[in-house]
Amino acid sequence: MKRRDFLKRAIKVFFSILAIAILSALVYIYPSKIKNRKLHYIYLMDEDELPRKGVRRVEFVYKLEDKIITNRVFVAANNDKLTAFSPVCTHLGCLVNWDNNKKEFLCPCHGGKYNMNGDVIAGPPPKPLTRLPLEIKDGKVYVGIKV
Amino acid sequence: MGKIFDWIDSRFGVKEPHKRFLQRPVPENINYSYCLGGMAFTYFLMLAFTGILLSIYYVPSEKEAFKSVVMITNEVTLGWLVRSLHKWSANLFIIFIILHTIRVFVYKAYRPPRDLNWMAGVFGFVTAMASGFTGYLLPWDQKAYWATEVGTSMFGTVPLIGDYLMYAVRGGLDINGTTLIRFYSLHILYLPVSMAVVLWAHFHMVKKQGIAKSL
Repeated sequence: MKRRDFLKRAIKVFFSILAIAILSALVYIYPSKIKNRKLHYIYLMDEDELPRKGVRRVEFVYKLEDKIITNRVFVAANNDKLTAFSPVCTHLGCLVNWDNNKKEFLCPCHGGKYNMNGDVIAGPPPKPLTRLPLEIKDGKVYVGIKV
Repeated sequence: MGKIFDWIDSRFGVKEPHKRFLQRPVPENINYSYCLGGMAFTYFLMLAFTGILLSIYYVPSEKEAFKSVVMITNEVTLGWLVRSLHKWSANLFIIFIILHTIRVFVYKAYRPPRDLNWMAGVFGFVTAMASGFTGYLLPWDQKAYWATEVGTSMFGTVPLIGDYLMYAVRGGLDINGTTLIRFYSLHILYLPVSMAVVLWAHFHMVKKQGIAKSL
């Protein structure tokens, strides 16, 4: 092989290695532990504290990987039907607030609005508020969240 | 120039190759709007200077980031000044890039052969915005957290690869200490180095092509 051809080939090999290195770097950047969130039922409140009518914001505390996390849900009672809503706005993930005068959920980030059933009435959210499963056992209310 | 400079230059040789650039004629009828890019660059230097000062006290960890920012502001001598300069320079940097872009657009200085330099400028603008976005998380307060929640959620709206992109940017499912370190690393290492390369290319082309004649 001529020296010139050898060098040309060496350059090709060099760039192939470089390409492999860049691809490996992209794999390296991607987090290795994307765990599957599992549904956990967490104690929310006693049954007699449930709202009869209207929406109540309920805060609850749980432990995850040695970290104490405070989270919240909205429990809505409408015509004897009980629903728990996740406060996470379906637009870009801010936490919504309940406006009791206007009877709507309002997102502070981009003005998304949901009615008492969690349906979008204004703003950019693409989906209604996520409904969370509620479980009542021995007079205690548990909410199912994925952690 | 001075004796010491001449001594260095006779060995290092920066004067001769830059003579043509530093003593070049500029077109007639140019005005102060031609300084906007240079002013943006001045803010970049300002950001680099105050940034390396901030990095001495800032702690990029979940538990201590906010505390260290409070300490920089309240306890470190002139810390409030350095932090404010960094913050305001960042705002003004973006503003002056935009003004500079408008100037180039109005004067039609984006036309060939300067089209490639326009592209380099766009890369610089994107890098500046990315620096702004990553720097915004570093104080690790509520505003920082929610801005990043919203900003990274936007990655999730990209078709097909959205979720992968979002997890790669966050370093996991949620925004936590991993995200903070990622953003810190991007903010003080990857992005400034990219910016330096882009600016080198930008100025190199200005040097080679000269300043566009005014309208």
